[in-house]
Amino acid sequence: MNWNWLVTSVWMIPLYALLAWVGALLWSPGITRRTGPRPAGYLNALLSLVALIHSVGALIVIWGQPAQVIRIPWMQVGDLVLELPLQVSTVTLGACVLVTGLNVVAQVYGFGYMEMDWGWARFFSLLGLFEGGMCALALCDSLFFSYIILEILTLGTYLLVGFWFNQPLVVTGARDAFLTKRIGDLLLLMGVIALYPLTGSWDFEALAAWAESVRAGAVSVDPGLITLVGLGLLAGSVGKCAQFPLHLWLDEAMEGPIPSTILRNAVVVSTGAWVLIRLQPLYALSPTVLAVMLTLGGLTAVGGSLVALAQIDAKRALSYLVSAYMGLVFVAVGTGHTQQAYALLLTYAAAMALLVMSIGTVIWNSITQDLRYLGGLWSRRPISGLCFLTGIAGMVALPPFGSFWVLTDLWQQLVESGQWLWAGVLVFTNGIAALGLTRVFGLVWAGKPQQMSERSPEVHWPMMLPTTAMMGVTLHMPMILAALALLPAVDGIPAGVMTASSLVGITLGAWLYLNPERQAVDWAFLADWQDLLANDFYTPKLYRASVVFAVRIISEITALFDRYVVDGLVNLTSLAVLAGGQVLKYTNSGQLQVYLLTIVIAVAVISWISL
Amino acid sequence: MLSLLIGLPMVGSLGLFLGLGGRRLAIVLAGIPLVISLLLFRDFDLQATGMQWLEHRDWIPQLGLNYSLGLDGLSLLMLALNGLITLIAILTTEPEVKRPNLFYGLILLMSGAVNGAFTTQNLILFFLFYELVLIPIYLLISIWGSNKRDYAAIKFLIYTAVSAVFLLGAFLAIYWIGDPHSFELAEIPISDFSPAVQTLLLLALIVAFGIKMPLIPFHTWLPDAYGESSAPVAMLLGGVLSKLGTYGLFRFGLQLWPQAWADLAGILAWWGAVAVLSGALAAIAQKDIKRMVAYSSIGHMGYILLGMAAATPISLTGVMVQMVAHGLILALLFDLVGLVERKVGTRDLDVLNGLLNPLRGLPGISALLILGGMASAGIPGLVGFVAEFLIFQGSYSDFPLPTLIGILGTGLTAVYFVILLNRTCFGKLDNRTAYYPSVQGWERIPGLILAGLILWFGIQPMNLVKWPQQLAFTLSTQVAQTHTVILAEASEVSG
Repeated sequence: MNWNWLVTSVWMIPLYALLAWVGALLWSPGITRRTGPRPAGYLNALLSLVALIHSVGALIVIWGQPAQVIRIPWMQVGDLVLELPLQVSTVTLGACVLVTGLNVVAQVYGFGYMEMDWGWARFFSLLGLFEGGMCALALCDSLFFSYIILEILTLGTYLLVGFWFNQPLVVTGARDAFLTKRIGDLLLLMGVIALYPLTGSWDFEALAAWAESVRAGAVSVDPGLITLVGLGLLAGSVGKCAQFPLHLWLDEAMEGPIPSTILRNAVVVSTGAWVLIRLQPLYALSPTVLAVMLTLGGLTAVGGSLVALAQIDAKRALSYLVSAYMGLVFVAVGTGHTQQAYALLLTYAAAMALLVMSIGTVIWNSITQDLRYLGGLWSRRPISGLCFLTGIAGMVALPPFGSFWVLTDLWQQLVESGQWLWAGVLVFTNGIAALGLTRVFGLVWAGKPQQMSERSPEVHWPMMLPTTAMMGVTLHMPMILAALALLPAVDGIPAGVMTASSLVGITLGAWLYLNPERQAVDWAFLADWQDLLANDFYTPKLYRASVVFAVRIISEITALFDRYVVDGLVNLTSLAVLAGGQVLKYTNSGQLQVYLLTIVIAVAVISWISL
Repeated sequence: MLSLLIGLPMVGSLGLFLGLGGRRLAIVLAGIPLVISLLLFRDFDLQATGMQWLEHRDWIPQLGLNYSLGLDGLSLLMLALNGLITLIAILTTEPEVKRPNLFYGLILLMSGAVNGAFTTQNLILFFLFYELVLIPIYLLISIWGSNKRDYAAIKFLIYTAVSAVFLLGAFLAIYWIGDPHSFELAEIPISDFSPAVQTLLLLALIVAFGIKMPLIPFHTWLPDAYGESSAPVAMLLGGVLSKLGTYGLFRFGLQLWPQAWADLAGILAWWGAVAVLSGALAAIAQKDIKRMVAYSSIGHMGYILLGMAAATPISLTGVMVQMVAHGLILALLFDLVGLVERKVGTRDLDVLNGLLNPLRGLPGISALLILGGMASAGIPGLVGFVAEFLIFQGSYSDFPLPTLIGILGTGLTAVYFVILLNRTCFGKLDNRTAYYPSVQGWERIPGLILAGLILWFGIQPMNLVKWPQQLAFTLSTQVAQTHTVILAEASEVSG
C-alpha cells in the first residue's frame, strides 16, 4: 500500500488541533452545564493523538527522502503573492512529532490536574490552538507566516496565562505576557516588512540564498539597514524565548495552570528559537546582530541560572532555567552552531517537560508551590522524585543522558574555534543549573516534612502515567539523537569539563540541601545578593519606572491636551461666537439710517480694497 | 439597481414615518438593499478599469446637477458595508426602543442617502446626499442618546456644517474654474487647474473630509458623538459615517488631484502617523469603554491616511480593505460595549470586572469582546491584520519612518485593549452586585455575524482583497505618473 498520502496531506496535522480548538469552544457554559466539562478535553486529546499518529506516519514515509514543499495560496495583491509554504522534511516532521506527542502527554496530565475545574473547554481549546500553531510553525517555511503564527500564539499565551482570571496576579501576569511578547512581535513585524523590499521573498530558503549572494558580493545592501532589520527580526525571538530584556513575562506566566506550563516551558518558548535558527544565515550578515544575539543570550544564560537559585517558588525556579537554556541556544546560533541548537531544543524539551510534570504532581496535592513549605517527600513520593532526578540528568551535562552529548559537542565546537568566553558561559550556566535543580530536589524531596507536605502521597494515574512515560522518553533521548544523526562522534569527545561542571553543581547542591545532619546555612551575609537575584535584578521595578511610567504619563498628557487644548480651542471658538452674538444683538436698533450707513461704509471699504 | 439601493430605504423610511410596519418591516427594508448589493458582487467585472452600472439622468442641467451614478471596487465594498451595518444596527436595537418607527425610519433614510453618496458621480449630487445624511444622524443622536446628547449632537452638527462649507466651496471652485463648467466627476478638466489651485482645492477637501473621518485635530466631536449615542447609532457613526469621509477623500482627493496629492504625500503620511499615535495614546487614558473605542477609531483613521499618502497598489488596496475592516470591527465593538452597558449598567473601567465568569458574568459577550479588541489591535487571522499589513507593506518603501510609527501604534492599540479586557472580562466578579440580566438570543446574533465576518475575511482575505485591486492599480499609476512628471520638470528646472 502506498502511504505517500500521509506526506501530501501533512497540512492536516495543524488542522486536527485547530478542529479540536473549535470543537472545544462548542462547550460554552450552557452546554457544560448539561454535559459537564470533560468531553471537550477528551475530544482534544483524541485529536491530538490522531495528529501524533499522522505525524509519526508521515515521518516514517519521508525518512531518508528529500524534503518536499507544499504551497497553499493565501492572498495576492499585485506582485505581492503570499503562499503558505509547508516544508515536509525529517526535521519539520520530527518537530511535529515532538509537539503533538508532548501535547498528548500534557493533555492526559491535564485530565488529572484540572480534575475539579469547570473551565475545561476554554483550557483545552487553547491547548489545541497552541498545538495547531506550533505544528504549523514547524512546517511553515516562510518568515511572514511564521510571524503570523507567533503573533497568534502571543494571543494564546495571554488567554492561557489568564485562565484563572479571578486572581489579580494572574490578570497582571497575562497582561505582561501579552504586552512584552507583543513588543517582540511588533519589532519582528517591522523587520519582516522592511526585509521584503530587499529580498523579494519571505521563504527561509530564499532568504538563505539571498544572504549567500550578499556574502558572495553579487547583491549589495546597506550594512546599516541590514543590521537594523536583523535586530528587528531578532527581537521577535528575544520576546518568545524570554531573553533579557523581554524575559519578565515567563516568570509571571507561571501563574497559569501547570499542564500549559509543561508545554510552554518545553516547546512554546522554543518557537522563538526555531525561527532564530532558520534565520541564522540572515543574522550572520551583520556582526552587530550576532554580537547582540550573543550578548543577550549569554547574559540571560548566566543571569537566568543565577536568578533561579534564589526563587522560593518551585515553578519560577524552573522558569528562569528556561530562559537560561534558551540563552544557550542563542549562544549556539550566534556562534553558528545551528545543528547543536536544534539538538539542544530536543533534549531540553523532554527534560524540561519531565521536570515540570514531576514538580506539578507535588504542587497539585500539596496545594502550594512555595519551596519553603515543602520537604521530606522522598519516603512517600519516590516515583515523582525519581522522575525529577531523571529530569535533572537529562537537563544538565551528565553522561550518558541526552543533553550531555549536545552540550559537550557544543563545548568542543566553541573551544576548537577559540570562543572561550562563550564556552565559559556554557560551563558556568550548566553548573549553576545543576546546582539550582539539585536545590529544588533537596527542598522538595529531602529534609523533614514541612507544614504543606505532611500529608502528600503520590497522585492518581492521569498525572503519574504521562510523567513516567516522559521519564522513559528522557531516558531514551541518546538513542533518539542517534537515530536522528544528531549524536556527535563519541571518540575523543572532551567529556571531562562539562561533566565536571555538572558534578560540581550537583555536589554543592547535595551538600547544601541533601545533608540532613548539616545545620541550615545562615544566608544573612548574602541577603542583599539574595534579594537582587530573588527580585530578578529588580527588572520589574525598572520597567515600572521607565517604560510603563512613560507610556502612562504620555497618554495622560495626550488625553489632557486633547481635552483642554484641542477641544478647548473649539469650545473657545463657540464661546466667542455666542458672546459675539450677545454683543451684536444690541446693534439691531431698527433705525434704517444706521443700516444704510453701515452698507455705504462697507461698500466703500470693499471698493477701496478691490481698487 | 443602484437607484433601487438609494430609493428603497428612503421610500421605506417614509412608510415607517407614516406609521406602517415596525421592526419587522425595517429589517426587511434593510435586508433587501444588502441582498441587492451582494448581487452586485456577482455581476461585478473585476477587470474593468472604469465605472460600472452607470446611470445618468439630467435633473437640473442649468445648475449642473445631474442624477448620475456609477460603481467601482471601492463603491461596491462601501455599499455592502453600509447595507450590512444598517441591518446589524437595526438588529441591535432593543425592540422596546421608544418611538420605534421614527428610529428605524431615520436609520433607513440615512442608509439610503449614504448609498447615494457612495455611488454618485456628480459633485453637487454628492454634496446633497452628504448633507442629507446629517439630518437623520442629528436626530438619532439627540433623541436616543444618553445624558449629554444635546451637547454632542449640536457639536457634531456644527463640525459637519464647517465640513460642508469647505466641501461646497471646493466644489463650486471646481465648477467655476473648470472649462467647460461641470459638476460631473468624469468631465472635470483637471489640466485647467494650475498646481497651486489644485493644492488649495485639495487642502480644502482634506479639511472637509478630515472633519468627517475624523482626522486629528478635527476630531473632538467624535468622542462626544460616539460616546453619547445609543449603540446602534454609534455603530452607524463609526461603521458607516466615518467611511463617508475616507471615501470622499479617496474619490475627490486622491482620485481627482493625483498631482497635488503626490506633492502633499509626505505631509499626509506624517499626519497619519501622528494620528495613529495620538489616537492610541489618548485611548489608553480613557476611563469609559465607549470613549476608549471611540478614540481607537481616531487612531485607525491614521492608517488610512498613511496608506493613501503612499498610494502604491498594495497600500491603496490595504486602505480600502481597512475601511471595511474598521467598519466591521468598530460595529462589533460598539455592539458589545452597548450590551455590556445595558446588562451591567456602567461603562466605567474602574467599576466593571470579571465578566468572563461563566455563571454570573457575560461569558459569550466577553469572548466576542476579546476577539473584537484583538482584531482592532491587528492580531493576524482577523481582518484588521490583513488591512494593516497591506498598508504597512505598501507604505514602507515610500515612507519608512511613518510606517514604523504606525506599527508602533498597533502595539499601543494592544495596550489599551488589554487594559479594557483585563478590567472588564478578567478579575473577580463581585458576588453582591453581579445579578445581571441574561443575554437573549437576538442580542447575540449581530455580534456573531460580525465576528464571523471578521474571522472569515482574516483567514480568507482574497474574498475581500480582490474587489478593489483594479481601482488601486489605476489610481496608483496616476499618482506615480504625475509624480514622475513633477520630478522630470524639477530636474529640467534645475538642469
